[in-house]
Amino acid sequence: MLTYILKRLLLSIPLIFGVLTLTFFIIRLAPGDPAAFFIQPGISPNVAEQIRAQYGLNDPLPVQYVKWLANVLQGDFGRSFSRAQQPVFEVIAQALPVTVTIAALTLVANFTFGIVIGIISAVRQNSFLDRFLTVTALFFYSMPEFWFALMMIIVFALKLQWFPASGLNEIGAESFGPFGFLVDRIWHLVLPVTVLSINGAAGIARYVRGSMLEVIRQDYIRTARAKGLPENVVIFRHALRNALLPVITLMGSSLPFIFSGALFIEVIFAFPGMGRVTVEAIFARDYPLIIANTFISGTLIVFGNLLADVLYAVADPRIRL
Amino acid sequence: MMRVEHIQMRYGREIAFSAILAALMLLFSSCGRTPGSGDRGAAARDSTLVIAMLGDADYLNPVIGSSVTSSNISGLIYPGLLQSEFDTTTGLLNFLALEKKFRPSNGGRKPEAALARTWVMSADHKSITYILRNDAFWDDGKPVVSGDFRFTYRLYGNPVIASPRQQYLAELIGADRGSVDFDRAIETPDDTTLIFRFYKPVPEHLALFHTSLTPLPAHLWQNIKPEDFRSSPLNQKPVGAGPYRLQSWGKQQEMVLASNRKSNLPKPGNIPLINWRIVPDYTVRLAQLQTNTVDIVENIKPEDFSALLKANPGVETKSVGLRVYDYVGWSNIDQAAYHKNGQILPHPLFGSSEVRRALTMAIDREAIIDGYLKEYGSVCNTDISPSLKWAYNRSIAPHPYDPAAAASLLEKQGWRPGPDGILQKQGRKFSFVLYTNSGNARRNYASVVIQQNLKALGIDCRLDVQESNVFFENLQNRKLDAWMAGWSIGLEIDPLDVWGSDLKKSTFNFTGYRNPRIDEICELAKEKLVQTDAGPYWLEYQEIIHRDQPVTFLYWIRETLGFSKRISGEQLNISGTFYNIDDWTLTPSSNLAR
Repeated sequence: MLTYILKRLLLSIPLIFGVLTLTFFIIRLAPGDPAAFFIQPGISPNVAEQIRAQYGLNDPLPVQYVKWLANVLQGDFGRSFSRAQQPVFEVIAQALPVTVTIAALTLVANFTFGIVIGIISAVRQNSFLDRFLTVTALFFYSMPEFWFALMMIIVFALKLQWFPASGLNEIGAESFGPFGFLVDRIWHLVLPVTVLSINGAAGIARYVRGSMLEVIRQDYIRTARAKGLPENVVIFRHALRNALLPVITLMGSSLPFIFSGALFIEVIFAFPGMGRVTVEAIFARDYPLIIANTFISGTLIVFGNLLADVLYAVADPRIRL
Repeated sequence: MMRVEHIQMRYGREIAFSAILAALMLLFSSCGRTPGSGDRGAAARDSTLVIAMLGDADYLNPVIGSSVTSSNISGLIYPGLLQSEFDTTTGLLNFLALEKKFRPSNGGRKPEAALARTWVMSADHKSITYILRNDAFWDDGKPVVSGDFRFTYRLYGNPVIASPRQQYLAELIGADRGSVDFDRAIETPDDTTLIFRFYKPVPEHLALFHTSLTPLPAHLWQNIKPEDFRSSPLNQKPVGAGPYRLQSWGKQQEMVLASNRKSNLPKPGNIPLINWRIVPDYTVRLAQLQTNTVDIVENIKPEDFSALLKANPGVETKSVGLRVYDYVGWSNIDQAAYHKNGQILPHPLFGSSEVRRALTMAIDREAIIDGYLKEYGSVCNTDISPSLKWAYNRSIAPHPYDPAAAASLLEKQGWRPGPDGILQKQGRKFSFVLYTNSGNARRNYASVVIQQNLKALGIDCRLDVQESNVFFENLQNRKLDAWMAGWSIGLEIDPLDVWGSDLKKSTFNFTGYRNPRIDEICELAKEKLVQTDAGPYWLEYQEIIHRDQPVTFLYWIRETLGFSKRISGEQLNISGTFYNIDDWTLTPSSNLAR
C-alpha cells in the first residue's frame, strides 16, 4: 500500500501543476484588470499603469509565465495584489484555521446526524418515520446553501434572536475569560455549521440507510436474531459495524464539498476564512491569491480522493491497492 | 482483521465524541445567552461604537490607501494640515487653519485639528506658505514638522509607489514637464514653515485643496525603499497623531480604533473604542442593525426602511446627498468605425441629440423614483449636483415624461413603425441591448421600467447584466451601445474627463460626446482665480448638456444610513459620514431602556 500511496503522491505533482498552469492562463485571459480600481476620474491615468508595472503585468504573457514558474518552483507564490501586498501564504495562513475549524465541526456533525438518521430510517423501513425522514432529508439535500443560510439568519438571528447573525465573536469577547470566549465562539459557529452540515448529513443519511438495509438482509443478521440476541445488539453490534464500512470512505471525498460550501457560508456569516479570501480574490482579480487558493483547494481535492481510496482499502480487505 | 477492528474502535470513539459535541450544542441552544457574558458584553458595548462595513481597508496609509474605508479610518488616525468643511448653504468647500479661515465658517468643523496655524497665498498665486503649529506630536512623541510634509509629498509623487493621489501634485513646479522638481516645488526653511511653489497661477481654493494631503512621520518611513513601501510592516501599525489610534486589525474581520489619549488634534475621541466590522452580506448587516449588534450600516435600500424601523425602534435612518446619480449611456458615436480607423461618425441609433432627447422623454423617471427610491431620489438634469448651490442652474426644467412628444421627435428623425411594430429607419430597426452591472437592485428595477417605457414607443430594448469588472472593461473600451451606470461626483467641478472632445485623453467619455464649447467652458472656468467667478460658465455648461443629452440623466440618490439612536452628536453631510466622529457620544444601554 505504501508504494501505491507514494505512486499516487508522485502522480499528483504534475496534476496539481497542470491545474495551476491552466488557472494562470485562464485568469489572465479572462476579462477584468487588477488595476481597474485605479481607473477613475480624479486619479491620474498613470496610476493604473504604474500599478500594473509593479505587479509585473506589462510583460508579455509567456514572460510572465516563466517568471511565475521560476518563483513557484522556489516555493514563492508571490504577494497579494488586493491585500496590502501580503505574501499570499500569509493571507492563507490567517484564513485557513477558520475554515478548518468550520470544516472539522461540519464533518463531525455531518456524520453524526447522517448516521443516526440513516439507522432510524433503515430500521424502521417504510414506516411513517422513515418516509418523513427521507422526505425531510431530500428537502434539505436539494436546498441551496446560501438561501438556507439566509433563512436561518432570518429565523434564528432576527426573529428569535437565539444566535448571532455573523462574526466569530461578540464585541468585547476578550473580556469573557478563556471559557467564556470559547463558548462565545461556539455560539457563533452554531448557525453556519448547521447550515453547512445539514446538506451533507442528508446525503450521508441516504447512504447509511441503503447500506444498512443491505446488511440487515444478510444471513448472519438472521443468524444473530435466531440466536435470540436482543434487537439493539443485532443492530448496533452486528449490522452497524458492517454497514458503516463503506461510509468511512465518504469522509475523504466530502472534504472538497465542505470547503466549497464554506465559500458561501463565510461570505454570508462574515467569517474571514478561505472561502471569503477566494471570492474576494476573484472579484479583485488578485492573480497570485487566486492561484495560491487553487493550489490549496486542488491539493485538498487530490488528497481527499487519495484518502478515500486508502480508507476504502483499509476498511475492506478484499480491495488491494 | 486487526486493522479493521482498530478502525472500528477509533470510529466508535469518534461517534461518542460527536454525540457529546451535539449534546453540548443542544444544551447551549436551549439555555439562551451564556450566563455572565451578558453584563460584561453590555459594558463593552456601552464603550464601543460598532460600524458594519462592506469591505476591509486596503492600507491604513494615506499615501496608498484607496478604499473609502481606508480614507475614513486614516482621517481619524493621521493629522491634517487643514480642516475642510462643506458649506451646505453654498455648496462650496471651506478650509480652516488654527487661526485662519478661507471663507466664513458655518461652525461644522473645529480648526483645532489643523496642523497649520495660518497660510499666505502669494499675490501672483504661484506659491502658498503655511506656518505650522509647534505643539503637535506623533504618537511616538516626535514633533510633527514641515519636513514630514516635504518627505511625504515625494512619496505621493513617486511612480514606484503609485499613489492614487498623485493628481494633487499636478500644479507643482516641474509637473508641466512630466515630473515634479521637488527641490524647488516644496521648501521648508524651518520646522514650522512650509512653502509650495506652482508652475502657474493657481486659484487659492485649489491650492489649499491640493497642498493639504496627509503627512506621514518621516523619521519612521525614511529608510523604507520605495519598492518596499506597500509591503512595509509599518502599514500594519500606523503611527499618527489624530483623535484615534489603531488598536488591532484582524484582516477581513474587524479594525478596532481606540481613543488616542495623547492627541491634541483636536482632542482624544469621546467614544473609547470604535469597531469597524466587515460584514460582506447586505441582509446580514441589516439583521445586525435590527438586533443592535452594530450601530451604523451604510447604504440601506429604501425598500427596507419601514421594516427596519418597525422591528427596532432604537434605530433611525439618515440620508446625505446629493453626490451620486444613475444614467443611461447612449453611445453618441459609431464605435465600430471609431475602433476600425479612428473615424468619428454619429451612432446609427443614438447619434442625434434629438433622438437622445426623445429617449429621455420616453422614460418615466418619476415612476422609477416613486417605485424604488421614493423620497430618497430626485430627477437629475445634468451632472452638476443641486447640492453645489453656487453652480447649480435652477432655471432648467427637467425634460418631462411625454411619450407622445417623444414619438413625434423620433418620427421627425425618420423613425417609423415597421410591420412588426418596431421603429425602423432605412431598413435598420431601433433595437439594442441595454447593459448594466450585476448586483445592483436599483439599476435592475430601473432597467425594467426603461425597457417597458421604450417598448411602448416601438423600441426594442433587451437587458443584459454583466459582472462588474467585465462591464467596466467593456465601458472603458467603448464597446457598449447602451448601458446603465452611475457616477459619484467630486466636490470640485471638473467634468472634462467625462465630456472632453479628445477621446484619447478623456478616458471616461464612454459615450464619445463631443462639443467644443464644453471643452472651452471647462478650461475658462478652471482659469478663474476666484471659484465663484466661474459660476456663469457652469450655468451655461448645464444648459448645453441638458440640450444635447449625451446621456439620459435619471435620478440623484440620497445615500441612506441606519443609525442606532444611542449615538448622539453626529453631523452628516455630503463630505462624509464620519468626519466629526471624535465628537460623538454613546448613551449607555441602561439609560436607553429607561
